[in-house]
Amino acid sequence: MKTFEEKWTAWLDEQLSGKELEEFEASLPDLAAARAEKHDAQKLGAFLKQRLGTQTLTNEEFFNHQIRERIERDEQEDVSERGTRSSWWTVPRLVWCGATALALFLITTFVFLGGDQAEEQSDYLTQILNSRVDPAANPNASIYIFESNKTDNKVTVLWTEGLQSLPADYAAK
Amino acid sequence: MPFKAVLFAICFALAAGTPLPAAPIVWSGLVIAENVPQPAAIPPELTNLEQTLKDLFGYNQFELIGQSSKALKTGQEDWLANSKYFGLHVDARGENQSGYTINLKLYKEKDIMLETDANLSKSSPLVIKGPQVGSGQLLLVLVVKADEPARHRRRTEPANPVRAGYYRLRRAIHDIFH
Repeated sequence: MKTFEEKWTAWLDEQLSGKELEEFEASLPDLAAARAEKHDAQKLGAFLKQRLGTQTLTNEEFFNHQIRERIERDEQEDVSERGTRSSWWTVPRLVWCGATALALFLITTFVFLGGDQAEEQSDYLTQILNSRVDPAANPNASIYIFESNKTDNKVTVLWTEGLQSLPADYAAK
Repeated sequence: MPFKAVLFAICFALAAGTPLPAAPIVWSGLVIAENVPQPAAIPPELTNLEQTLKDLFGYNQFELIGQSSKALKTGQEDWLANSKYFGLHVDARGENQSGYTINLKLYKEKDIMLETDANLSKSSPLVIKGPQVGSGQLLLVLVVKADEPARHRRRTEPANPVRAGYYRLRRAIHDIFH
């Protein structure tokens, strides 16, 4: 079942015939106005066909040749531009930059953060760096180092054993 | 112009009035520890360490036979605590972040009995067990104490700016990462 619009379009294109044509024209309220509209539409169609007809290329091969050349030229420019932009970042330079950055990181880490453990401990405890006794006078002497924090005091103790004993006179002020 | 003069005066007054950190004093003492029937009171310099010393050495009396206190102005001073026969020579060899690097020498008359290098912390006393003396024991004690503000000291003898800057930078970076 065709809609009115389909029948109208077919009527404008003179595609209706016979009984269908009669019935459609009978259904139109103003046949004269419709025929005038049909006439205008046909006139417009003829005008458009005349004006917008297909333009054929007379130099098709030359046109294609020019397009291909332009594409090739653009591609070459892209490649050369890309090459110019990345020329400074050569592989050796990248390697050197990476090595330099790593070295800076390591230096920073060791210089500024490396001694943290020892220093944090030093904030609380005295550290004995080295100790020695006179080996001639104290051949059996030995030295121990420990920390005592039994009370509130955190005391570093240097404990000697085997030092030469002295008479009580040496306790004089 | 008057505004600039007033601003300068205010800045100067603020700078002059800003209290500086306390100057540390290192107290060093020669102590004879022994057990006696009626122990004397412990010297006031050792009051804080009394229980520690008793626990460590097992003596009930601690008598000072020589002592010395030294204000560290540059961190490079040296001094001597003497008794009749012993001498404790302390040579401060610079300040570090946690305290002072020191070299200690215990002399028996003119002979060096014991020598040690240490980083003396501001919050941790150093106790050294020396030789047996009669029925007692010679102990060497070093304690860092704080003194009154060292405004004049700092003005006349400024700290090494490079070292101070280095420690400041290091501390700042340390604070960032912790």
